[in-house]
Amino acid sequence: MKAWSIAVLYSAVLLMLPLAGCASHKAEPPVAQPQAVATQPETPEPVTTPQEPAVSKPTDASPAPSEAAPAGKPATAPAPSGATQATKPATTPAPNGATPAPKAATKTAPPVARTPTPPVRPPTPAAPAVASTAAAPLDLTALKEKLKATKAIGVFTKISLKNQVDDLMKQFSDYYQGKAKTTTMPELRRSYDLLLMKVLSLLQDSDQKLASEVVSSREAIWALLSDPKKFATLQG
Amino acid sequence: MNKLTLVVARSLVVAALFAVPLFADDDEALKKDLTAVIALQGLPCGQVVDVTELAKDDYAATCKDGNKYRVYMNAEGRVVVEKRK
Repeated sequence: MKAWSIAVLYSAVLLMLPLAGCASHKAEPPVAQPQAVATQPETPEPVTTPQEPAVSKPTDASPAPSEAAPAGKPATAPAPSGATQATKPATTPAPNGATPAPKAATKTAPPVARTPTPPVRPPTPAAPAVASTAAAPLDLTALKEKLKATKAIGVFTKISLKNQVDDLMKQFSDYYQGKAKTTTMPELRRSYDLLLMKVLSLLQDSDQKLASEVVSSREAIWALLSDPKKFATLQG
Repeated sequence: MNKLTLVVARSLVVAALFAVPLFADDDEALKKDLTAVIALQGLPCGQVVDVTELAKDDYAATCKDGNKYRVYMNAEGRVVVEKRK
């Protein structure tokens, strides 16, 4: 009788072991997260609203036609107020700002002349650039801390990612110092995009909120990297 | 004696219930971590199915597709993935 009961107990233990092993697999409760994702896409909306001041600011545009020639540099001009976001708006509002500009040009060009139209165009992208800096300020240190703290990425993966970030920073540094003659800015942009996609692919399933934060900071970080002066401050 | 056996058996059951999931979780997390590291290096793997710890921060990983890698951290603090035969 004793031996029988012991045998039953042992068999029960043996049965429980695989059952307990099966019970260990559960990893998917980011239920509340989708709300955070839903809020992030709303952030671009404030970017559209600042376009209204762009209409009101053409008065500032008239004194600045001399600076209109370096079209890429209006983004650096407002740098003191919001250095991080400088180039981001320059790329995003371009389609919005570009479509109204030709309309204005076609309407005004026949009656007046061709000369006034060119100076009108450059200020319009510059104005939203200033306006949208307040929309989403980049907090690099906070983002870095969040990436360090997230449990969505394993320790080894984080170290590996850090290695790749350091490599990319070195590529930028070499590029700005003229050491890397074969590297081009589009190539650096591609490397940056690829690295960001790696981070996002690791985050998107387990930490959607942080993933969307990274996405929203994407252009702002690129603005820091693609400007030699801002990049120098990053490394300093 | 019979009571003692029962107590031991019960405690074994309880220990098994708690210990196995913990070990399984740790193991799965490590496999996932190493899978990501290997993928980040652009090496073929698919999924790490078996891991052996060779030393501290030094692992031998076997992939689902049959590839085997040694994943370790070198003296400079870089994560290195080496293909093994």
